[in-house]
Amino acid sequence: MLLEEFLDPKILIVAGKGGVGRSTVAAALAVVAARQGRRVCVTEVDPKGTLARLFGSTAPSYQPSELSPGVWGLSILPEQALAEYLEVQYHIKRISRVFTSTHFLDYITTAAPGLKDILVLGKIWYLEQNRAIGQRHGFDTIIVDAPAAGHMLSFLSAPMGLSDAVRLGPVRRQADWLVDMLRDPKRSRVHLVTLAEEMPVAETLETSHALEKRLKLQQGPVFANGIYPALFSKQQRDDLEDGSGETAVGGLIEQGAGIGLKLDDEDVDALVGYRDFLEARRAIQARYLRRLKKETPQPVITLPFLFSAGLALPDVETLADVVEAKVATL
Amino acid sequence: MNSIAEITARKEVIVCAGAGGVGKTTTAAALALRAAMDGRKTAVLTIDPARRLASSLGLKELSNEPVRVGKRKFTAAGLKPKGELYAMMLNTKTTFDEVVARYAPTREQADRILANRFYRNISGTLSGTQEYMAMEKLYELHAGGEFDLIVIDTPPTRRALDFLDAPRRMTDFFESRVLRWFLLPYMKAGGGIMRFANVAATTFLRIVKRIVGSEVLEDTAEFFTNLEGMYDGFKQRARDVAHLLQSDVTSFVVVTSPAEDSVAEATFFAARLNEAGLPFGALVVNRVHPKIGDGIGAKPRQRARLESGNQRAQLLAKLLANEEAFMRVVHLEERNLDALARKIPRHRWIRVPYLQREAVDFPGLVAIADRLFG
Repeated sequence: MLLEEFLDPKILIVAGKGGVGRSTVAAALAVVAARQGRRVCVTEVDPKGTLARLFGSTAPSYQPSELSPGVWGLSILPEQALAEYLEVQYHIKRISRVFTSTHFLDYITTAAPGLKDILVLGKIWYLEQNRAIGQRHGFDTIIVDAPAAGHMLSFLSAPMGLSDAVRLGPVRRQADWLVDMLRDPKRSRVHLVTLAEEMPVAETLETSHALEKRLKLQQGPVFANGIYPALFSKQQRDDLEDGSGETAVGGLIEQGAGIGLKLDDEDVDALVGYRDFLEARRAIQARYLRRLKKETPQPVITLPFLFSAGLALPDVETLADVVEAKVATL
Repeated sequence: MNSIAEITARKEVIVCAGAGGVGKTTTAAALALRAAMDGRKTAVLTIDPARRLASSLGLKELSNEPVRVGKRKFTAAGLKPKGELYAMMLNTKTTFDEVVARYAPTREQADRILANRFYRNISGTLSGTQEYMAMEKLYELHAGGEFDLIVIDTPPTRRALDFLDAPRRMTDFFESRVLRWFLLPYMKAGGGIMRFANVAATTFLRIVKRIVGSEVLEDTAEFFTNLEGMYDGFKQRARDVAHLLQSDVTSFVVVTSPAEDSVAEATFFAARLNEAGLPFGALVVNRVHPKIGDGIGAKPRQRARLESGNQRAQLLAKLLANEEAFMRVVHLEERNLDALARKIPRHRWIRVPYLQREAVDFPGLVAIADRLFG
């Protein structure tokens, strides 16, 4: 698949359970799009400051700020989205403060369930239509770092559910616009992110099913994150299997000595131990990758474990490289 | 006896908290399992839908009431529990319905609340309701006195904070004066004078009505009218739960992984516990990459020579590269954890390295429990 084609819908929604690296994938997709010369906006709806950490920038606010060349970020709080909505729709500026300073929004959004989500999606619609207040330029790609899995389905289905609470009027019409935006495969697509482990895979399959059958949204490739790399060839693995005996271990020490690297028994334990660890984790991951590939109709893009314990921009760039290469093979 | 063993042997309530994806639910189940093994009648209460927990305990599904884990499950794993293990999964809506039915002054009032559309919306979806109901359930289980120990699993951290504040926030919510003021024109008791006094609110409501529709406002007003007479009960239980959580029969176990963001969450949470005067018990660090050796530190030049050598040499080159990569992770994880050590002393930590098998079944859970208790 051409990257152009991959980036065709303007809105890419990245979703997944907590701890699977959803924000990292969102950031990598942003970099992929920016490299294609697009103006990209990444929106956080559950702001935790992760985006800022990934791009090494200050935390984004409600107004887009440039995180890295071509990539803007913003975080959307429902209160701010409501204030903007009232300003655009009813030209009300003053009263917004009353809304935000009391907990009134909490009560009303409680009374009309999903209203908070709709306000956030409404902001995304403004961005898509280049109609947001103070928006100086349009965006070619909007990446939505969706709420964690539990809340994600209700987030995306909020506009569909609103019709029960509000049957008439402007809000109903606007909810329909949001449904159109989300359901049009030319405008929006959802990418699920998972780890190759039992629980995240089970949840991903369930979510994927619900997105397809209940919400009727278009999905793109699923990203399986944190996959340990294949280090050894089959031949090498076999060699090592035999190598638990004296000769092979002795062989390692000899090989080392040949280039002036002194290996003691502890070093050999570490070499063999980490190899065993890698292979054991890979075996577990392979099992769940098989299940994922078998049970989801979407293609699966595997992203490598980056041997890090917290990611920064260079890691995001590396993942962007991998995404580019893998999209080309789809 | 490590800190975890001490807690499971003595406390009546254990709260597990931490970021998403760090193995919180599994940890909660493993703690409960061990307490049951040691002779305590234990219930594990999970809040997030955790079908895997059910299956790893050999239960078809978890319900809103504690269900006993069969003895056969233990026997099959070669274990002889001296106590009993129960598991349940919080159903927010059912629990809320029970609370309303139990505490409404009259049956009719309870029915009116249960039938109200606003109530039906909040009982399942209002943010904070889940946490609030978890507290109500905890209160009910603890007050019932049936269990020696209740282990409770919480939603991911930011919301675990809500979890602590939930009872207070919810009672504030139900009692809000601001809300009453806004809704007065819709309250049946309002009457002419009220309407007159409330012109500003009426203007404001006109806008709200245009946005959400008048039915929504009527439902809301009706709900709050019906809630009259129940506030004191809500507040009393909120106070009781707060006392329970602060008392020395309770202990908080913070669960984390060594990854940067979950360490940040754990640090945040530890600080919060401290601030709120809540009893911290132990820190469980899951998913730690194992440290094997002290790092070989082969020079790039040596690795390059091996790479261009024969098959055995190339194999060694790869083994060295692999070892170096894992050592890098080990060091980065250690650095993240060092930051945490400034908040939580290391003797309160239990490290659980990545296991070579997953806790997808009962024996897997037993293996985790063994790790936790050293």
